[in-house]
Amino acid sequence: MKKLLAKNETYLLLVIVVFCAVITIVNPAFLTVENFFDLARNSSGTAILAIGFFVVLLSGGIDISFPAVAIVGQYIAVNSLIALGVDNLLLAFAISCTIGLAFGAVNAFFISVFKIPTLIVTLATANLFHGAMLEFVGTKAVNTGQLPNSFKSFGLFNLFDLHRADGSAYGLSVFFLVLVIVALVTWFVLRRTLLGRIIYAMGGNSEAVRRSGIRVTSVQFFIYCYVGLLAGIMGIMHVSLIRYSNPTYIVDSELLHVIAAVVLGGASIMGGSGTLTGTLLGVAMISILEKNLVLLGISSYYQQFFVGLVLVLGVSITHIQRRVRSRKQLAFVRD
Amino acid sequence: MSANFLEVRNIFKAYDGVQALNDVSMAVGKGEIHCLVGENGSGKSTLIKIVGGVVEADRGDIVIEGKVHHHLQAIDAIREGLQIIYQDLALYPNLTVAENISLNQMIERRTRLVNWRGMRALAAKSLDEVGESIDLDESVQNLSIAKKQIVAITRALTHGARLIIMDEPTSAITKDEVEHLFSVILGLKQKGIATLFISHKLSEVFEIAENVTILRDGKKVGVFPAGDLDDEKLTFLMTGQRISYSPFAFDEKRRSALPVLEVRRLTKARQFNDISFKVWAGEILGITGLIGSGRTEMALALFGLNRPDSGEILVDGKPVRVGSPEGAKRLGIGYLPEDRLSQGLFVAQSIGDNIIVTIVRRLLSKLRLINPAERKKAELHWIDELRIKTPSPRIPAFSLSGGNQQRVVLAKWLATNPRLFIIDGPTIGIDIASKRNIHEVIRGLAASGMTIIMISDEIPEILHNCNRILVMRKGRIEREIPDAALVSGEELFNLVSGKLFDEVR
Repeated sequence: MKKLLAKNETYLLLVIVVFCAVITIVNPAFLTVENFFDLARNSSGTAILAIGFFVVLLSGGIDISFPAVAIVGQYIAVNSLIALGVDNLLLAFAISCTIGLAFGAVNAFFISVFKIPTLIVTLATANLFHGAMLEFVGTKAVNTGQLPNSFKSFGLFNLFDLHRADGSAYGLSVFFLVLVIVALVTWFVLRRTLLGRIIYAMGGNSEAVRRSGIRVTSVQFFIYCYVGLLAGIMGIMHVSLIRYSNPTYIVDSELLHVIAAVVLGGASIMGGSGTLTGTLLGVAMISILEKNLVLLGISSYYQQFFVGLVLVLGVSITHIQRRVRSRKQLAFVRD
Repeated sequence: MSANFLEVRNIFKAYDGVQALNDVSMAVGKGEIHCLVGENGSGKSTLIKIVGGVVEADRGDIVIEGKVHHHLQAIDAIREGLQIIYQDLALYPNLTVAENISLNQMIERRTRLVNWRGMRALAAKSLDEVGESIDLDESVQNLSIAKKQIVAITRALTHGARLIIMDEPTSAITKDEVEHLFSVILGLKQKGIATLFISHKLSEVFEIAENVTILRDGKKVGVFPAGDLDDEKLTFLMTGQRISYSPFAFDEKRRSALPVLEVRRLTKARQFNDISFKVWAGEILGITGLIGSGRTEMALALFGLNRPDSGEILVDGKPVRVGSPEGAKRLGIGYLPEDRLSQGLFVAQSIGDNIIVTIVRRLLSKLRLINPAERKKAELHWIDELRIKTPSPRIPAFSLSGGNQQRVVLAKWLATNPRLFIIDGPTIGIDIASKRNIHEVIRGLAASGMTIIMISDEIPEILHNCNRILVMRKGRIEREIPDAALVSGEELFNLVSGKLFDEVR
């Protein structure tokens, strides 16, 4: 019980429950299975990006190129399928994921070989990847009519269906299954493999990891390629969800949400601490906040304000905790 | 097969044109306790990093158990049974004690999957072998430095090591803990595990080492059986100069009517209790005591960094309130902090900027901008005055040696022209020659009329540089020694550790 109270996740879950309760009181239409299925469908992609971002953050780095990687992977995959005349979802995934892995490797190369701060590298490569695509692949959006059918059917595919009173069906999207698989794999890597513990250790003291005989470079390649891979997967999910591929679309909008969700979930922006559960709860919180402020009768313009507020508070709390701790160790150590 | 576990042959290493190691060879036998000594900047740490495979030598070989390694990698060194406890400990602050102890072994054995229960069991067993108990699930960042050190040592022992290298392991622990560490090292010897001990505290070297290798300026001076050396000889070999001490004497005729500082019944709960003393111009008042005796906490209170609960501070006989370092500075109080790297220096900023930071207001032109000519004058004046060894005031402070860094911190405070200068741990981590130079500077300041309070846990430092001594213990002033010349090192040591006190009882 005491352990539960010390956990950031417990409080976050509590906040989510209270928030949901408030919405339900104002608008009973909120608390329906359909609404939650809808939430799962709409936010699974964001959650997958958040998981990737969380892994980088743990290692003490930061990667802000993932929205660019996702849109480049998506747009090239869609256009390749159209150009080749092949309507195959697996091929789309293969193309998008390969692009993600390759871009991740480029990031890792600059970060590990030239030792450039990760924020600067990924800020630069995000523009590089996206700009190159706009120049060499194209800027024209692919609309629903042109979009290969496999994307559309993937977007509509449900794991199971339920029926409304009027007999029409709704269901839990396959996207949720993708999220569950990604989350389980990531959990296993972080919690149960040496590699995962090294990622945590790197966030605490990367020089110590190096001295213990680990090639930090290869760990960094794994981390940034993994984020790239997840961004590639999300790119395909995204186009299947909105049935439209606009090469300028997710580049800006997802970044803030993902960062806010991960920080809210308790991951330290300085690296080395945080949990996967926290990250997923953070995504849930941000998604519910974003989609349901309207239900509370609050203007949707406030959305951005609230996400920003959450980010500022989350970062401040982590920093205060850190300062309190380092102050404790300054002059008055005793035990 | 030779009897040596480790041999280092003709190592050369240069950094940016500076020859850090110049044809250095040394050997450590199986189960031997060997000590590597040398002043800061003599190349000890570089040599250790090369032995550990973390830094590659320009030339030379590392031979482990007769096997020659031209390009030693860190993981190879570990697999050959070599464990290094670095000065910075190289722990993972965000992970638990159990993980810190077990993780490196998993890396060594290429264990791909984590078995949490096995990991805890291993950590518990290892701590048990060292005779310590620390909460396995505590995050290492919440431990005291001494406990962190124990975790680092335990981790090194977990590996089935054949040689353990300890880089300045006693820098942050108390006398008792040092004794405990030594008993651990002797226990290792019984098991045939060698220890290479790196230190610049002379007494320790004699207590534990069998053989001593001495480095000076990147060259090997020689290797000696510890029994053939004494304090003076070792100092001479390390520094190339003979050093003798003469105590600091205060001329009683110069004692003014009014003390510069008087402290009356200063108290802060759980830190210090009922502290009263006076200090006059031209004195060097020594305050000594163990870590946790309240010495630093009390000094911080005088400098406005630690608000006391009750009591009075009087400057020139007038009661004052010291609410902030700014206020202290206005009263003419300067403070040289215990930890110069985190509290005394802007390590990434230039030497010049560090020096002028306290007096920037005085260097402003009519337009309220920094006057470059005045600034340069001030910087060069202090570099010259304190003999800071640097080609230019513009290079960053971290590129200096410990002794020179400390001189920069001194310069920064001397520039404010303080009347009362509180110096906390003036020579921690500083080599002998620089130490002496800093002591001379401090005595010179007192002779010119400045009031000095020197806080230190190094008994000889206090004994040789102060005219009056306060001994603190458990937050109180245990004893005032009015004339430092009338007390011996041993008596003072006993007072500090509380032995004499207990005997009287």
